[in-house]
Amino acid sequence: MLLAAAPRAFAAARPTVSQVSQGLTCQCGCGLTVANCNHPSCSFSVPLRGEIEAMISHGETREQILAYYRHKFGEKILSAPTTEGFNLLAWTMPFAAILLGGGFIALAFTRWRNGPLPAGKSPAASEPSAFDSDLRRRLENELKENR
Amino acid sequence: MPDLGKLCLLVALILAVYSIFANVYGARRGRGDFILSGRHALWAMCAMVTIAVIALWNGLLRSDFTLEYVASYSSTTLPTVYKFTSLWGGQQGSLLFWTWLLSIFTSIAAFQNRRRNPDTAPYALAVMAGVAIFFLFMLNFITRPFDLISPVPIEGSDLNPLLQNYWMAIHPPSLYTGYVSSTIPFAFGAAALITAKLDDSWIRSTRRWAIFSWFFLTLGNMFGARWAYEVLGWGGYWAWDPVENAAFMPWLVMTAYLHSVMIQERKDMLKVWNLALIGLAFSLTLFGTFITRSGVISSVHSFTQSGLGPYFLAFLIAIVTCYTALLIWRSPDLRSPAEFESYLSREAAFLFNNLVLVGIAFAVFWGTIFPVLSEWVRGVKITVGPPFFNRVNGPLALALIFLMGVGPLIAWRRTTADRLLRSFAAPVILGVSAGLVAILSGIHEWYAATGFSLAAFVLGTIIVEFRRGVSARRHMVSEPPARALVNLVAKNNRRYGGYIIHIGVLAAFVGIIGSSFFKVEVKKSVAIGESFTIGSFSLKYLGLDQHENAHLEQATARLAMMHDGREVTVINPAKLFYKRQQQPATAVAIRSTPFADLYVVLAGLDDNGNRATFEVFLTPLVFWLWAGGLLMAMGTVVVMWPNVRERAAIAVAIGRSRAEEYAGEAASGGGR
Repeated sequence: MLLAAAPRAFAAARPTVSQVSQGLTCQCGCGLTVANCNHPSCSFSVPLRGEIEAMISHGETREQILAYYRHKFGEKILSAPTTEGFNLLAWTMPFAAILLGGGFIALAFTRWRNGPLPAGKSPAASEPSAFDSDLRRRLENELKENR
Repeated sequence: MPDLGKLCLLVALILAVYSIFANVYGARRGRGDFILSGRHALWAMCAMVTIAVIALWNGLLRSDFTLEYVASYSSTTLPTVYKFTSLWGGQQGSLLFWTWLLSIFTSIAAFQNRRRNPDTAPYALAVMAGVAIFFLFMLNFITRPFDLISPVPIEGSDLNPLLQNYWMAIHPPSLYTGYVSSTIPFAFGAAALITAKLDDSWIRSTRRWAIFSWFFLTLGNMFGARWAYEVLGWGGYWAWDPVENAAFMPWLVMTAYLHSVMIQERKDMLKVWNLALIGLAFSLTLFGTFITRSGVISSVHSFTQSGLGPYFLAFLIAIVTCYTALLIWRSPDLRSPAEFESYLSREAAFLFNNLVLVGIAFAVFWGTIFPVLSEWVRGVKITVGPPFFNRVNGPLALALIFLMGVGPLIAWRRTTADRLLRSFAAPVILGVSAGLVAILSGIHEWYAATGFSLAAFVLGTIIVEFRRGVSARRHMVSEPPARALVNLVAKNNRRYGGYIIHIGVLAAFVGIIGSSFFKVEVKKSVAIGESFTIGSFSLKYLGLDQHENAHLEQATARLAMMHDGREVTVINPAKLFYKRQQQPATAVAIRSTPFADLYVVLAGLDDNGNRATFEVFLTPLVFWLWAGGLLMAMGTVVVMWPNVRERAAIAVAIGRSRAEEYAGEAASGGGR
């Protein structure tokens, strides 16, 4: 009900000032995006948001506006690294690290799997029955305690 | 009082140094009197730091501007509550506050372990004293809270207006508590490595501390987000600012740790990994402090920047190097008979959950430091902001939510396909149905639809778990459903408290999706009596009230909020001007419901207030982010609730550890 009711009416069709200015970093020193700069009379973000509004009303896309500002101020204006050259490392490293970690886990699993099981522990011993064996064990402990 | 504060900090430093010597000497030579003396020294250190804190509070509350700190971060007109919170509003005070928390936690740990863990506790206390020495050294010689100023100013500079907010009054203490309390499990981990007592007794002994740390890290992050939401006036709560990231990373790693220790407790595996995780979590708290105070990366938290970065970096490097060396040194003793049967097992799910959590922490770390790397390598300054973090962490968050649903429902060791089907049928149906409902409701963003679907799936798995537990109790102890539910949670608080935390995470996740994908904003300039609309709401500008006192000027707009032609309420966004710091600020008005928040900022005033500009955000579901935080906190309280069986398990673990030790000594033919 909630899932159905909440967002339907709010989906936007064309870029808003906020969506575009999220892609740009404010240069006033606040360290936030042009959309989020919290200085009410910021000399950078306030006029820029006005310019962006005008560009959107002239039909320019988000990408065109970002390209314009990158040309004007350099790469530091963009709030995310580009996807070229050295910057590609920014985007790929986290996933590469996770893949590496996943590979390491898979390798460890293979080694552990091939290792001998401790005595008295057969795979069938852990097979759960009607109730979760863990739950059953805990309940039995509780009953013992209460006796 | 300033002299007393200075003296106390110096004595505290001497006591911390003595405590290291007494604890280590006592432990090595088996001298209980030295160990006792080392413990007493830590309690005395805590008393000294407490007196220093009282001395600084006294200066702040009395507006004693002979103290440079008071003159810089307070004023006579500052409301008393913020004079009190100014203790952590500036560099020196916040370090003193940090040290105070550390000394309190160290004292509690010393008290808890006065009879427990006789072999490891002295070393753990020595490690805590070592950390305290760093902070006390900083307070005594580098950034002194009791420095005097000359000439004495008539009035103070006041506290940064952004910090004059109730959320900011509780956000730093919560976060600091989370940061500092991670020292205790870290110190016991280090002590386990030093003494080669590498079973799980150090984990069991510090489990509550780890959860306590996680609890306050959760609260700290939530309070910080709420502060940003209410104070910064941009309609959002998280900007992936480096300092926010610095608080988020230890939370992620601590979450991974709390899950992976279950594997060690259960299967005696992953000893190295758990020790590495707690070392990483503690190091990340120091990294966070380094980031906050160094100014290496520009941040919205610039008010905490100083020249302390190199000291924190040196300390961080020293900690990481020593701890890694210890881990490598002990690695031959950390091998355990590993047992693994299937990818379809809870241990496998936990391991992948760890991979994703640490992966997200790495992505956040990488994005935070990448601007520095880019400048070093290319000489080009770049920014890594929200679009990067959202795009990289978005898919990882989905994977994490999925694993959150899978983990609890599959058994340890292995699960058969048949059982898997039985356990997951209902949750999968619920998840798919929710996804379909979302799509049919007009949600076309794949991420949002998938996220809602996964959240419903995980909620389904949690419901199945509760249902199964209640049904087992009804079957075996013949309890009525409500009582069975209460007893289920009370008697298995660790497990079911964990599920309550998971429900909180789901609620927060739904809130994040709703607020990230479906927020709409309108900016309008209206004259008194005019209205404008946003979504199904309309807002009518009724007029402006102006107030002034010695501290600030305030212009408050009155807006009638209408829904379906009916007036719901009057809301009051305001513009503030802090006189002492000559800084403007905004006070937003928020009308919150479970469906959406209406968030109104008074952006500008013209024509003596006859015309005003409003920036309004309609943010669906954001309510659930805060509700989720509350649920996570409640779940953690349930998890931490004293449990007789848990205490017995700790006693058994410690007893086993001692028995093994005596057996080893007997076999080798003697004592020390």
